Amino acid sequence: MLSPKRVQEGRRKPHKPKRRGRAKGGTSVNFGEFGIQALEHAYVTNRQIESARIAINRHIRRGGKVWITIFPDQALTKKPAETRMGSGKGSPEWWVANVKPGRVMFELSFPDEPKAREALTRAMHKLPMKCRIVKREVGEAA
Amino acid sequence: MSDVRLAAEPRTEFGKGGARRTRRAGKIPAVLYGHGTEPVHISLPAREYTHAIKQGFNTLLTLEFDGKTELALTKALQRDALRLTVDHVDLILVRRGEKVQVDVPVILTGEAAKGGLVNQELTTLSVEAEATHLPESIEVSIEGLPIGEHIAAKDVTLPKGSTLVTDADANVVAIMAAPTAEDMEAGGGGEENAAPEAAETEAEEAEPAAE
Repeated sequence: MLSPKRVQEGRRKPHKPKRRGRAKGGTSVNFGEFGIQALEHAYVTNRQIESARIAINRHIRRGGKVWITIFPDQALTKKPAETRMGSGKGSPEWWVANVKPGRVMFELSFPDEPKAREALTRAMHKLPMKCRIVKREVGEAA
Repeated sequence: MSDVRLAAEPRTEFGKGGARRTRRAGKIPAVLYGHGTEPVHISLPAREYTHAIKQGFNTLLTLEFDGKTELALTKALQRDALRLTVDHVDLILVRRGEKVQVDVPVILTGEAAKGGLVNQELTTLSVEAEATHLPESIEVSIEGLPIGEHIAAKDVTLPKGSTLVTDADANVVAIMAAPTAEDMEAGGGGEENAAPEAAETEAEEAEPAAE
């Protein structure tokens, strides 16, 4: 599963990432033919990313290539259950990617378009926000 | 490539507010430059321009404004990532018979040998051609191409009147051995590193125990 190799001391328990604004970059399909684009804000965990990747790979079997264009580099913390308030911040629980609307998260190169779309639809069901499938614009500069 | 005639209007309003008013009026803010002339700010009819660009990015545009006619090509285009509408267009002036350099999309035809994974490294090729006779696309056949083979830019048959600008030795498409289903399933992150704590090798202090 994707996670940072090393974390600086001060960044171990960061504030929650901002959930506002739109994606500033990574909004177009650059590597494959098709992509999954986020339409809402969400924290996508490394487990969700892995689950979506497996869903794509199980459907296309072979003959295609998948790119993951987000990385879960933000830690989210959680206090243990039935704990009184205070006593410091909770311990890191999840690694998430802070995804904003417009961001392309997965890209796929596969020769059969209907099957590629079906594979991406299965992956979209594993993700925590509304998304859509986008296709590379032919000849258009990224 | 086909020629599209558009009625452009000179633009007097600039900046964020002006551009937004232009878009609300069903037009696209654009700038026209080239041949050492001063840039001209114009607006294009959104519906007609979007329709023209769907036919191909290198569609030759005949712009009519201020009682004169100019030929232009789209140089750069800004889209809204969510609405997918065109926000702004950069147009470059061209003259009839002038040779211009454009990126032409590569379309693969046929099927490679069984068990092969088609890795298209270049989706466009830069070519030089007459502005009025730009190729719409370049077809590259990969029919029966065995695993391990590749097609370089110099091996591609270009349409008549076009010359290659892209590096001749650049790989356009390569056929690789497709990974098996097991390889693909295992190929994600690999390492077991589910909990954030596992990555905290640098962290000095232990977590204060919760009450």
